Amino acid sequence: MGNMKIKAKLKNDVVSAKVLAKHDMLTYDQAKAKGVEANFITHITAKVGDKVVYDVSTSQFWSKNPQFKFKFKGAKKGDKLEITWTDLSGKSVTESKKIK
Amino acid sequence: MERRKFLGLGVLALTALPATLSAISAIDFRATKPDTWTAHTVDDAVKALFGDITPVEEGVKVNVPAVASSGGAVPVTIKSDIPAKTVAVFQNMNPESATAVFNVPEDGIIDYFMKIKLKATDENGGKGTVTAIIEGTDGKFYIGKKSLDVAKGGCEG
Repeated sequence: MGNMKIKAKLKNDVVSAKVLAKHDMLTYDQAKAKGVEANFITHITAKVGDKVVYDVSTSQFWSKNPQFKFKFKGAKKGDKLEITWTDLSGKSVTESKKIK
Repeated sequence: MERRKFLGLGVLALTALPATLSAISAIDFRATKPDTWTAHTVDDAVKALFGDITPVEEGVKVNVPAVASSGGAVPVTIKSDIPAKTVAVFQNMNPESATAVFNVPEDGIIDYFMKIKLKATDENGGKGTVTAIIEGTDGKFYIGKKSLDVAKGGCEG
């Protein structure tokens, strides 16, 4: 099963992307209280082909199962939007979705 | 844009990024500016990221609800028409201040939405401010902020 729910829609040359990723986003404080290691998504990159269209370094303060949206130009219907996140533990997940 | 490519290559060479970040124009600010993420105040985080800057208060729109019923997932939108290199988001309610640093792609649109945790405590009384600073392609810095109230008992969300 997928980790991310991705929606990408083209309208007037602009793609609107909406993403929901599954991750506990455990802060240092929350982890300490539970006696486990903190772990949260530290970086998210989205690409169409080789072109980076979204690139963000993230913190422990993004919500659990973080939701994010962004817009970009230069893609067409049918292009594949590929999203990758990496977390503090080094785990990385990449999933993609065709632009509608 | 040559400068950005050059910087990107430097980052790759210096920090041995994970393979997933191999795109030349991706920047891992956690690796390049580590002190930003451990700073406890907005001022210190801004200093660690950008140095001593005096941002102009214009052109950056921060949208948050006036009152958030839960601090577990507060919606934040940052918008601007300023041609930008970097967009950084901070808040003053959590133990550390840095929340997100966007590396804006060439011709990028600044319309970023994210949900964040904001912790209401006795100290902050559930009152806080979300601040966004934009580093323009013109080399200048721009700032926008918005205050909000957060109901207690949020951060677990």
